[in-house]
Formats: sequence, C-alpha cells, structure tokens
Amino acid sequence: MSFPHSTTHDCYYFPQTWREIDTPFIYAGGWPHSLIELACARGHQEHKLLRNTGIFLQDLAHNTLQFSAAQLFQLIENILKHPAGHELAFLLCHDVFTNNAKLDNAANLHDFLELFAGHSYAISPLLSPHFHYEQERLVIYWQDNFGADLIMPFLLEMIFTALQVYTRRRAGYQLPWAFHVSHNKPAYIEQYQVHLGERVLFNARGNAVSIARTELYRQWHTSDSSIQLAQVSTIGENRHHGITTPVVRGFLHEIYHYLKTNIQHNPHLEKTAQDFGMSSASLKRKLQKHNSSFQQQFDQARKHLALDWLSKEGVTQEEIAQHLHFYDAANLRRAFKRWTGQLPGKL
Amino acid sequence: MLKLHQWKLLALGLAANILLSANFALGDTKRWNVINWLDVISEGGAALLALVWLLLILQSRPAGRVTQWLSLGLSCIFLAGFQDWLDEFITFPDAALWDHWVESGLMPIGLGLLTLGIYHWHQEQIAINEQLRKRERLFREHRGLDFITQLNGATYLRKQLQQELSTHYHSHSSLALVFIDIDYFDDTNRRYGHQEGDRFLQALGEFILLNIRGTDLLCRYAGDRFALVLPNTGRIMAEALSAEITRALHHFAFKSRTQGESIFHTASIGIALTDSHRQDTADSLIERATIALLHAKEKRKSTLDKVA
Repeated sequence: MSFPHSTTHDCYYFPQTWREIDTPFIYAGGWPHSLIELACARGHQEHKLLRNTGIFLQDLAHNTLQFSAAQLFQLIENILKHPAGHELAFLLCHDVFTNNAKLDNAANLHDFLELFAGHSYAISPLLSPHFHYEQERLVIYWQDNFGADLIMPFLLEMIFTALQVYTRRRAGYQLPWAFHVSHNKPAYIEQYQVHLGERVLFNARGNAVSIARTELYRQWHTSDSSIQLAQVSTIGENRHHGITTPVVRGFLHEIYHYLKTNIQHNPHLEKTAQDFGMSSASLKRKLQKHNSSFQQQFDQARKHLALDWLSKEGVTQEEIAQHLHFYDAANLRRAFKRWTGQLPGKL
Repeated sequence: MLKLHQWKLLALGLAANILLSANFALGDTKRWNVINWLDVISEGGAALLALVWLLLILQSRPAGRVTQWLSLGLSCIFLAGFQDWLDEFITFPDAALWDHWVESGLMPIGLGLLTLGIYHWHQEQIAINEQLRKRERLFREHRGLDFITQLNGATYLRKQLQQELSTHYHSHSSLALVFIDIDYFDDTNRRYGHQEGDRFLQALGEFILLNIRGTDLLCRYAGDRFALVLPNTGRIMAEALSAEITRALHHFAFKSRTQGESIFHTASIGIALTDSHRQDTADSLIERATIALLHAKEKRKSTLDKVA
C-alpha cells in the first residue's frame, strides 16, 4: 500500500483475467466436501441440502470436481435454512487449512500470514485478505470476491474460526485475535462466544481480524529444527521466488483492485468498462450478477484507502479528500460517515 | 408410523363400509327438498374431525396399549358420527331401531374408551417426564433440541433462566449457572474426526446427566460447552457438584470407534450465582459464568504449562 505522496502518475493498472461467480475453480474435495458430510451427519436432509446447487452426492468422489462460487453460495443458503445450520460454519476449522501442507512450515505468525496471502485463492477462494498496519496492530480486512451478500457472515465465521483454531494449535496458546464484523449481533451468539471468544465486535466498520504486531514474530513450535530468523517485511506484497501460479482474482476483487490501484485517475464506469473490454451495460449487468454495483465497489475502494491513509501519520484529511476525488474534507467526512457510520477521527 | 397401524385402519374402513351397505339395503333415500343441509355439514364435519384426530394420533404414536384405547375410542366416535350423517340422507321404517343403536350406543362407548385412553396417556406422560427430567424444566420446546445430544440449546437456556430468575428473585433463594467446557476438544475433533467428536459429546451429555440431581437442568450451550442450571443452590453446593462432575469426567474413558482406544478429557468450570442484592438477567448471568470459565481456563493453562 502506498502513501498518497509517493504515488506516481505513470503506473496504470490494466485488468487481468478474472473468475466469475459461475466459474468452477474450487476443488470439491476440500472444505466443500467436509461441509456436505458434516451437514448430512447432523440431520440435514440430502435433497434439501443440495437443492438448486447442481451438486450430486455421487460426484463428490471425483478428485477433479470443481465448484463455482454460485454453487457454494446456494449450498450454504440451503444449510442456513436448517434451524441449527449456523453451527456448521464454526466446525469446519480443520478442513480449511489442513490440505495446505505449505502452511505447516511457518515458524511464526508472520510467516504463516505471508504463506497464507500467497496462496489465499487456494485456501480461501471466496474471501480475500487485505493486510494493513494500523499503528501497533496488524489488521486483515476480508473482501468478498464474488458477491456473497447474505451468507457473508457464514463465510467470515468459517475463516475466523479456522484462523483462531489453526494459530492456537501451532502457537500452543490462544492468540489475542480481535474480530470485527459489520453484521449485527446474531441470535446464535453462543457460537461466537464458544468458538471465537469474547473479543468480537459487531456492527464494525468492516470485516476484519486484528492482532498486536508484537505477536507476529513470536516463535512457534515447528517439527523441523531449522529456526528461521525473523524477517521484517510487509505481508501481502508478492515477494515469492520460484514458480507460483499467476493470481487469477475473483471478479469483484479484480474490479476493486483496478479501482484502488487507479484511484489517482478517478476511474468511472465508462472507462472501467472499456478497460475490462465490455460495454457499460455489460459491466453493470456483470456487477449486478455479483450482487454489487459500480458505486458500491468504488466506495469500498475509497473507504479502504481512506481507512489506510487515516491510520498513517502526517496525512491530513484535506490531502485524502483530494486523492479520493472529493470536493473538500467536509465532503469526505460526510461520505466516511455514510460508509462506516463513524467520523474519520484518528483511529 | 401409519404402517404400524394398517390393521386398525383396515378394520375401520371395513366397518364403515358395512354400515354404508346396511343403510342402503335397509333404508330409503330422502328426497332433496327434505334434506337439512346445516345438519349435513355439522354432523359430517364432526365425523370428519374424529377421523383427522385418529390419523394424527396413529401417525405420531407407536403401537401399544394407550394407542389401542385411543384409536378404538376415536373409531367408535367416528362410526357414530358417520351413521348420524347418513341419517340425514336415508330414512328408515319406524320399526327399525338398529340405526339409533349405532348412533346413540357407539357414541358413549367411544367417549368412554377415549377417556380411558387419555387417562393412560396421562400416566404414560408422567413416566416420560421422568425420563426427560434433567433435560427440561417448567416448559417444553421441541424446536432447538440439539441433534447430537438431544439436549436443549442456548435459546432454551436463556428462556429458562429468565423464568427461573424472576421467581428466585422474589423468593430470595439463589440459583447457580455452571458452564462445563472440555479442554482441548479441538484436538480430539482433529485427530479422530467430527463423527467421533460428536459421539463423544453425545456420551458426555448422558454422562453428566448421571451425575446431577433430579431438579437440575442440563443444556448444550454450543460446541463443547454445556450449561447446568442448579435451582436453590448456594456457592458451596455448586462448587461441590462441579468438583464431582470434573472428577467423574476425568475418569471417563471414552472409546474411539475404530481402534477402541481410551480417550481422556479434562474440563474447566465457570460458576455464576445469583445475588440477592441485584436482579440478574439471563444474559448477565451467562456473561459472568463465561468470565469465570475463561479465568478457570487461564489458570488451568498455566498449571498445565508448569507441569510440562
């Protein structure tokens, strides 16, 4: 993430290939399989569970079967119709990270998060993490890649519990994660209390987990004896050597990334559509298919930039307003209030 | 369930058919203008409802003595009503009395049998309540029953506490809420899989039920956390009971399904007691029990670390 001062005007980001809500790319054998198994074991009826998903139980055995985001959304929607469906999000914790042996090489939280960021599309295909340092804390925002809409709480509960349980096992103690979610306190609050603990904030500015930066380099138990020295670098920047598969983002993520990177060019609907190689009407339709709109994505990009810059020293609200193409700081404050429900005071 | 009772239904169908044939054979049909339609609707409706009750009862109950009485009673009521209804369409010679006997004779017999059935049902319910004791108190709510342990969940607990708290506050007696949380249950789930974890939770529910008093209530709060409501219980008693449960649990050798090896667990306890000086709500009591539990976990963790 760059300071407003340091942005150079000649870097312009052109969209890469992306995946859409109906692109099959999530391997069925991972957590989707576990989710279906778990639901069946807990009294969900098979025909209700798989209704309108296009998933067939007998196909699950195929290793190569891949699901689209839309199929998984439908599956989760069906699960949530069951009175105890919410519970399942908190029980998948062992299936989200287990199939990634690479993560087990991490010697501390920083290593782990870096590996996680590098493989986030394999591990967490529906939500992508965005790393921000805000004073003494590392804040990880979770972005909806495909327009999860109403089932967003389920996805967050799933990834949060997985993170909590995995890091607790690796570190050997309970890490002091704080969880922020933008939805209301749910009726099944007991699940949050038991699985995530007491540090959960509802109606927050965004969906995020945060932790004190001092936790990042505390040594974890590793199976091999090689002790890695703490490296000081920023998580989330691609500094992976060797062969890594090129990042193919989800459609909303790609739009968001495009808008955020090109913010100094004040991107608008027509220009964006042109860069994405389609008409404005097509772009609008595509955004609608992902339960979103151009304004929503543009605001989200500006909100995250504003949050990021506000947490930095020496950046005034006037400067931020100018970089985010607001008429003045008062307009920024009004918009910020609308986005987050709070005024942009220092965090 | 209906399959269990197919002979009963067959016999009833046969009786209704015989009745219908007898009516047509021995009586004459009425002319349209003398039929009283209000009577047709009300008498037909009564017979139909008796049939609906019969079907509902048969569908929800296993075979047995109580079911026998109830279905026999309702069958008689239905047949009496059916004859009553047929009377609206068919006239009999004055000399024929059998239709009156069917109508007026079956009804009291049916009502008598039904009463007998309901009385036995009441007796049966008392026996079932005894089975459900420790699983429910004061009121019943079948929604929200946990699939794994067949215990009530957190919603029931909150409602229950709300009710108990208001009565306890007025009667100045104390009430204890105890949270029982299994240590490192995640590890069990990860090592043996969810199915084993679920089996363990189910066994654990039964196990705790064996260790509590008849007046106590056990709920599954969420995950591996159980909630125990102890009415009319002070601190000393609550602590003694909790200690008994943790001790018993410590020796509970759960066997895994595949290898049959013993899996041992320990538990942490959080106790919250009502206070005569302030009125607690369900949420504040739950919150205090949660805090107590977290403290206990932390303390336990440090002692475990010291041992290691």
